Amino acid sequence: MSFGLLKIAAALAALGLFVSACDRGASRAPEWTEAEVTTLKSLWLESLPDLPDDPSNAVANNAIAAEFGRKLFLDARLSANGGVSCSTCHQVARRFTDGLRKARALGLSDRNTPSIVGSQYSPWQYWDGRRDSQWAQALAPLENAHEHGTSRAQVVDTVFGDTDYRMTYEALFGPLQNPAGSSNVELNIAFANIGKSIAAFERTIMPTTSRFDEYVAALVRGNADAQREILNADEKAGLRLFISKANCTQCHNGPLLTNHEFHNTGVLNFPGDVPDKARAGGVREVFGSEFNCRSIYSDDSAGHCPELDFARTGIELIGATKTPSLRNLEHTAPFMHKGQLPSIADVLDHYNKAPDAMIGHNEAEPLGLNTAELQQLEAFLTTLTAPVSELGVEL
Amino acid sequence: MISRRAVLYCQLISLFTVLFSGDVSAHGGVVEEDDLCVIKVNYLRAHFKVYQPGALGHEQYCEDLPMATESVFVMEYLHDSLSEMPIDFRIIRDVTGKGRFARMEDIDLIDDIDSATVFYRAPVVEPDIYLVNYQFTEEGDFIGIVSARHPDTGKVYAAVFPFEVGFTGLGYWPFFIGMLMLIQFQYLFMSGRLKRWFGKEVAVAACFVLGLLLSPVSFAENLVVTYTTSDGDPEINKMHDWIVHIENDDGLEIEDAIVDVEGGMPEHNHGLPTKPLITAELGGGDYKLEGMRFHMSGYWEIIVSITTDNGSSKVTIPLQL
Repeated sequence: MSFGLLKIAAALAALGLFVSACDRGASRAPEWTEAEVTTLKSLWLESLPDLPDDPSNAVANNAIAAEFGRKLFLDARLSANGGVSCSTCHQVARRFTDGLRKARALGLSDRNTPSIVGSQYSPWQYWDGRRDSQWAQALAPLENAHEHGTSRAQVVDTVFGDTDYRMTYEALFGPLQNPAGSSNVELNIAFANIGKSIAAFERTIMPTTSRFDEYVAALVRGNADAQREILNADEKAGLRLFISKANCTQCHNGPLLTNHEFHNTGVLNFPGDVPDKARAGGVREVFGSEFNCRSIYSDDSAGHCPELDFARTGIELIGATKTPSLRNLEHTAPFMHKGQLPSIADVLDHYNKAPDAMIGHNEAEPLGLNTAELQQLEAFLTTLTAPVSELGVEL
Repeated sequence: MISRRAVLYCQLISLFTVLFSGDVSAHGGVVEEDDLCVIKVNYLRAHFKVYQPGALGHEQYCEDLPMATESVFVMEYLHDSLSEMPIDFRIIRDVTGKGRFARMEDIDLIDDIDSATVFYRAPVVEPDIYLVNYQFTEEGDFIGIVSARHPDTGKVYAAVFPFEVGFTGLGYWPFFIGMLMLIQFQYLFMSGRLKRWFGKEVAVAACFVLGLLLSPVSFAENLVVTYTTSDGDPEINKMHDWIVHIENDDGLEIEDAIVDVEGGMPEHNHGLPTKPLITAELGGGDYKLEGMRFHMSGYWEIIVSITTDNGSSKVTIPLQL
């Protein structure tokens, strides 16, 4: 910068100070318009509706089942080598993720470990939605050779052979038969019940208040001082971008900052893998899943399965993955379905460019944000973190 | 006067002419058509593209590849049959000596195809899209061979496409030629030269006839479609039902119609997250529509297709959420 330019800059800065000093006396325009406040409130944790019922799981809201599920969640005996539990990949300190690109347990799995926080609100589980309930999801890793690598007979046998587990199981579900003498259906019922207990625990893993939520609370109360203290100028600018020209809320909407739906955003393949067909395969799999909503293992006697009845299929789902929640984002790196992008900045850069998808069609459009705006967005995204201690989970 | 619509149709027609005028650079089974790279497995076609994502990110290639590195071959079917056929994919070093002009006959003459093969994927039915990831370890001339077996007749269709690895190909010059042709055609049309050469009636009539062929034709009466939900405006991310009411512009309620509902966000090129269905006809022109859900705010269009004895028509309901 030349000396002349410096002088001009100094003059402008002085003018700015003068204007802002004058401004303090005058009545200020509200920081957010009414429409913006409505949007902010829609993203606020206070707007989270009550936990939806899961009629397919009779013990979904049962506290004993939840405690049983918590023990099962942590139990490494539910694996081929006695060394893998659900919490191997879903680590509480990392907000139920593992910090790896792809999950690693007995082997390397196909995708990035998604968080559990908020998943009780989603009609679909997994990046590709290949399961339609938390309990059906909880069963799949147990039998996956790269994850727990065990079998339903071994899982039921572990519960059968543990006096404490067996008593709890029988109090919840009735007599448990020795899996060695069980028919396939009996074995599947017991296996499904174990999944339903794990799901009862997972349903208690609720999102908790972040700085962003405190900010909206202050805004709603009209507490201007608190608003200034809670979010700094960059974070607020980032929030403004988030709900306006960065288009984030088109998919990351609602209090969980996800629409629970599937979108192709043109992320590159994982090195060595073919590009992930994602939902196109997942929707096919969920229809064939032996533990889906229509199966005999669902507890819903009405057999009401609107998600399956109205599920979309077709080629527009090629490469579409489920929108993840943005809550606790800064503790859930790396990002995207195969952990392709290491940092929040990389993700923002990707959406800013919105490149053509390798397969299917990238739904996102280039944003044209400058570096400062990208940094503001990143600053805002770190305000969505809630302390681990408040997750309400003792592991 | 020639309407703007006629001009638009003419532009479209000329674009299509360019698109499908054929094998500007035809060889083997992969053809660059405008900016679309197409593999022809006999009469079956697929959009063909190759990426070198590790080295070159989102850049896509039609045949020749710049580097010997991880390469992802993508075939997006343009013909539904391919999604039901077992397809195999082979890459061989070019031992035919024919280079760019290698054909299936040349491949058939190779004594030991296995020793020339650097990559082979056994036949598999891929219902959505066909994908291969191969790590090239050396530069040179290669030939790709894709074959698909018809599930009913057992007939095998094949495409052969010679390509170089380690060579920056000719890129998109056919695309630019196409664009030049389009501009030239437009100029001839707008300047009236086309009219002078062929006569006004012929030029305009040709455009309109072709334009009509490209436009959705409906001979049904004008229908008015309205909807109600139980809780006012649709809420985002919540599955809900609609009552769809159909009447004609004289206010006559339309009953016994076959009604289909589709929709999406035209600005985002995607449809509804669900596949809603008409589950009951309630009488008085009312139809129950279940399974509606919107997963994004913004501009949506719901397209209601109505078929009655009088014909078919489509009515678009715009929605700003």
